[in-house]
Amino acid sequence: MGELLILNGSPRAPRSHSRRLADLAAGCWKGNTVCRDILGADLNGLCAETGRASHVLLVFPLYADALPVPLLKFLTALEESPPQSRPVVSVLINCGFLEPHQNDVAVEMVRLFCRQNGYPLGSALKIGSGEAILDTPFRFLVSRQVRRLVRSMSRGACRTFSVTMPLTRRQFVSASTAYWLRYGRSRGVTKSQMETMDIEPDGP
Amino acid sequence: MENMTLIVSDRSLKTGLPDCGDTVLIDLTKQGIRNCMGCFGCWTKTPGRCVIRDDAVRIYPLIARSRRLLYVTRVRYGGYDVPMKTLLERCIPVQQPFIRIVDGETHHVQRTVVPKEAVILAYGTRDAEERALFRRLTARNARNMNFAAWRVVFCDETAVESQLRKELAAWENS
Repeated sequence: MGELLILNGSPRAPRSHSRRLADLAAGCWKGNTVCRDILGADLNGLCAETGRASHVLLVFPLYADALPVPLLKFLTALEESPPQSRPVVSVLINCGFLEPHQNDVAVEMVRLFCRQNGYPLGSALKIGSGEAILDTPFRFLVSRQVRRLVRSMSRGACRTFSVTMPLTRRQFVSASTAYWLRYGRSRGVTKSQMETMDIEPDGP
Repeated sequence: MENMTLIVSDRSLKTGLPDCGDTVLIDLTKQGIRNCMGCFGCWTKTPGRCVIRDDAVRIYPLIARSRRLLYVTRVRYGGYDVPMKTLLERCIPVQQPFIRIVDGETHHVQRTVVPKEAVILAYGTRDAEERALFRRLTARNARNMNFAAWRVVFCDETAVESQLRKELAAWENS
């Protein structure tokens, strides 16, 4: 079991859902684990660390249907400053929609990066249903799949897993609406204010 | 401008555009746009307004209002390269946090986003696999950005400006 480098690609790294998922994954890996936030990091330093790890797990949220900018910048830096040794690259991605398959394109983007730059492909876990899932009774479903992901990584397999809340789409719409209304209320914002159809109503 | 055509380019255009009255050009190389920080302020604090007050707040309302939209972008790993992706991530004020069902999938409710015809002029791809992945990405974007119709046009980096002119001429003549 070699060293696992977990890279959090979230734009809100220190207080992100991805950080919590990264911690779950770190707890399952039996060898040494190092966790880093990409946001604000020295990218050259991260590239060097990447070369010292046997496995890298990229943990990030889906942003605009694709990789978030901090991760995109890191991959670009890694291409420009490639380490001598190439670790196996795996993916743990989450999106705010119910369907895990909405993450497919982003996972393929990482795999394309790996093929273009000579990194062995590892496994992937695609999580649907948004950041709330870890605070629901469905948390165990995520924990179970993270364990399977890490087990697959440690065996050097290239498998893909997915998990989401076992809800119908209508139930998910209702649950997510309640979630966002609570979020708005905590900031003193009403439903009708959140539903405004205006974009920059007072001008930029 | 009710029939606005908006061009957003990640590279400066060396020659002028054809004279089209309702065409607006945004040159991303001349904009200061910071990364989205995922604060959800545009959904739950100042709905419809990004809390980062930089050049992006002038651009995403134009994207929402445009009837024809043309992105010029380098492709990286089958997606938009950093300048265009940074802008697109800053466009989430055009959506509400609330979820709806569209074509059997869950997606965000849009605010006032005009249905649009979009062309993505993409350069810098390395092979057919990357082009296929970029097409898949734009198909997903279409659902979240209210593209009524869209096309991806791949071209060599040296041919971007001539291809852009062809696309604009086709719109003018349609």
